[in-house]
Amino acid sequence: MQVYLPIAEMSVDAMLLLGIGFGVGWLSGLFGVGGGFLLTPVLILIGIPAPVAVASGANQTLGASVSGLIAQWRRDNVDARMGIVLLTGGLLGSLLGVQLFAALRKAGQVDLAVSFFYVVVLGTVGALMVRESVRAIFRRRRTGSAAARAHEHTWLHGLPFKVRFRKSRLYISIVPPLAVGFGIGILSAVMGVGGGFMLVPAMIYLLGMPTSVVIGTSLFQVVFVSANVTLLQAIQVGSVDIVLTLLLLAGGVAGAQFGAAMGTKLRGEETRALLGLLVLAVAIGLAWGLVSPPENLFAIGPVQ
Amino acid sequence: MRAAALLLALLALAIPAAAQPASTPLLTADLSTDRVEISTGFTGASVIVFGATERLIGAESGEDVVVLATGPAQPTVVRRKVNVLGFWVNGPAATFPEVPGFYAIAATRPVWQALPEQVRRSARLGLDALPLRAEGSQAPAFRAALLDLKQQDGRWQEYAAPVSVAGGRLFSARISFPDTVQTGDYRIEVLLVRERRIVARQELFLRVDRVGTAASIAHVARAMPAVYGIGCIILAALAGWLGSVIFRRG
Repeated sequence: MQVYLPIAEMSVDAMLLLGIGFGVGWLSGLFGVGGGFLLTPVLILIGIPAPVAVASGANQTLGASVSGLIAQWRRDNVDARMGIVLLTGGLLGSLLGVQLFAALRKAGQVDLAVSFFYVVVLGTVGALMVRESVRAIFRRRRTGSAAARAHEHTWLHGLPFKVRFRKSRLYISIVPPLAVGFGIGILSAVMGVGGGFMLVPAMIYLLGMPTSVVIGTSLFQVVFVSANVTLLQAIQVGSVDIVLTLLLLAGGVAGAQFGAAMGTKLRGEETRALLGLLVLAVAIGLAWGLVSPPENLFAIGPVQ
Repeated sequence: MRAAALLLALLALAIPAAAQPASTPLLTADLSTDRVEISTGFTGASVIVFGATERLIGAESGEDVVVLATGPAQPTVVRRKVNVLGFWVNGPAATFPEVPGFYAIAATRPVWQALPEQVRRSARLGLDALPLRAEGSQAPAFRAALLDLKQQDGRWQEYAAPVSVAGGRLFSARISFPDTVQTGDYRIEVLLVRERRIVARQELFLRVDRVGTAASIAHVARAMPAVYGIGCIILAALAGWLGSVIFRRG
């Protein structure tokens, strides 16, 4: 069944979009991430213009994360104060990121920039995840080591503007969480991702937050930053396609439930190793696209 | 007696018509529809141009019918990829400010066989007769790439579909619009060619519009982007919440 996407100005098979939504939702339920990092490249691959893929990807991430946030909030796993600090950085970052995106679009380098960001970010995160989880599998130790690191004092603890984050059991400067939020805000605007897959390790290893509140707090940040990206992309670039978003969400929420059910059967470090490999595979695929000789040297597009 | 009288009456009617050929037009044409609607299920559309000529069409009579469809101008940029440090990036670009977003030509035989080159060029009959003025890089490769890529995605067509002739004087041609067709006013020109001259010409107009949900979405997104953005946020959040409720119960 073909459906016409009013903003992308093309028609796509609705079943294909539902299937992509289901597949990405399944993986995101399995690994506990939003899945935006998989969705945007897949959309570009099936011929959706990069600006529409990025903007609608952010919109989809918002929808996919809302149910998770509600569940975590009910279980009292959200550090709202930390969330608001991260979010402040995130909103500023996404504001800058959307400007950057509009400038890149004008220069005709959007596709390159999106791919490049993906290769660098996914490559780094994927490699780190695989390394960490492979070590963990060899040692067969639980993730308790992460919490132990929270008590190590580094130069990060010497920064000013210290605030007490009760739920995270932390007394740290607000500068590192602001910076983390800001960086991920930029990336989410350019890549169309929520940034959960980067935020979760950053919160554990950089900020030293306890794992119990990490998922809930990262979802808090992801929901609001992706809402902001959606709004800014709609105003500045005009590339959010709500028909595309809703089709992807319809498949995604169904897939996420199946994924989450399956995820409980896997060990933590095995899950992380698989997610790391998946992230690395996407990065390598995109890197190949950047270095392999293109089929056609020329490309046409509308004038912005 | 009656039959003979009727025959006489018919003959009387027929004789003046034959004596004054000018009263029948050289060419009449119309479209199967003057509106193409892009709805939520749109996958492309085709429109039939049909009509009749006064004399027989074909090689023996030397009469040819040419159908030309042009869409609104769509400024297009052509970019060439270059290899920088092993990466393929978008390099030099040429902007074509005045190219039609849609162009299709069909004829009973290729126009270059039926018309002198000068006439063909001034009437813009054929893709190579389009005045493709470029800003930026002037290399001919950009022009060639534009022609090539526009034809690949179906927005420019040269003799892609035939003009078929029935009964010697009735002609019809199908114009196919791809799903990426632009909205706006389209002009269909039907030309009658005789003895290497254009002897008759008829212009028809066609409008491509979004309708229904697709139209409202595109309209709101363009006219009120902030409202549209907030709407997208609320809808996505609702869909996510609703989905989790349905699937958890089920």
